[in-house]
Amino acid sequence: MRKVMIVPCSGIGKSYGTVAREGAYVVTEDLRPDTTQLVPLSLLVLGDEQARADVSGAQAITIDGCKLACATKMVTESGGTVAHDLAVLDVYRRHRDLKPSGIAELNEGGTELARALADEVVVLVDRLTGEVKNA
Amino acid sequence: MPDLPKKKVGIVACSGEEMAEGTVTRQAALRVLEQLRPNETVTICLPLFLAGGEGDRAFARFYPTIALDGCDRRCAARGTEMYSGKPAASVVVTDVVKDNHLGTARRLSEAGKQAVDVVAGQVAQKVDELLGVTWDRKQQVADPSQPTQESKAKVATCSCGSGIPVQVVQVGGQEVTLIALPLIFEQFHAAAKLPGEGTAVELIQTVKIYNPIPDGQEAAFTEAVMREYAAFCQEEN
Repeated sequence: MRKVMIVPCSGIGKSYGTVAREGAYVVTEDLRPDTTQLVPLSLLVLGDEQARADVSGAQAITIDGCKLACATKMVTESGGTVAHDLAVLDVYRRHRDLKPSGIAELNEGGTELARALADEVVVLVDRLTGEVKNA
Repeated sequence: MPDLPKKKVGIVACSGEEMAEGTVTRQAALRVLEQLRPNETVTICLPLFLAGGEGDRAFARFYPTIALDGCDRRCAARGTEMYSGKPAASVVVTDVVKDNHLGTARRLSEAGKQAVDVVAGQVAQKVDELLGVTWDRKQQVADPSQPTQESKAKVATCSCGSGIPVQVVQVGGQEVTLIALPLIFEQFHAAAKLPGEGTAVELIQTVKIYNPIPDGQEAAFTEAVMREYAAFCQEEN
């Protein structure tokens, strides 16, 4: 079974970028290490063959930190299929009490928001891997 | 008056999500942007060179840029050169730090945090070199013999989507894209600098801060820029 690719934005100027990154780690390292794989965006930018091969033909879940949606655009440009595209801002709108701040170091709200984001991603991963199993 | 950015240095970090060195680049870039050289540096997310607009791709042609990479694949340096402009300088974490126990991409070890300090220091030094500023390391201020610089810590913000304005002009029958020209025109017009010989010298000098002009073509560029500026002033008036 092919793993689901998790592609967070590499946003460096906003807290939402750090939330995207942290949420991706929670999914790929803690919650679903066996069924997901993190793909670094910088390798896709460079057109790295292995990174392109990883996303090509696989289902990807992208996590974007701002409306420019770099992660989603890069996966599409690399020949991958974006099964779901999540925006951190949308997750925040569903969890207004978890206001993120800090970029190098997230505050508690940001860390909890990353966890909430990860929980949403996991539901989508399970749906995708379930679909593959049942195919 | 429009806010024409003063000469700053762009920092582009690879931010590689799969390795500790990538996190070192990200943390070091933030250290420089927020604490070490907050008023002299700007940043942009690497993927925006592909996912953004022409203004984003102009980043490394507008700012002398330091590419900060975690490994010898050098995604930031190569990506910046491919899509924006050749970086003025490059730092690779594995060249600077030989300790390979930096922790994980998610959580840096103490050695990883020390690597951030070392790499950030190197980047700050390169910023100074690019700006021609010497830095008193004990006092953490610019050399008194240099012009005074404000240096107050701030939160880093990216240039994502801010888009550097560009304008296409005809120089010797060829189309040339000049970075920041609309801002420069606005600034000169607001300062009541009318099109004329005196203005031409100052205007082309300002244009040259952000745009390389090939040897022997300054007269043609000056003529083209002055023609466009005259048209701009006519429209404004």
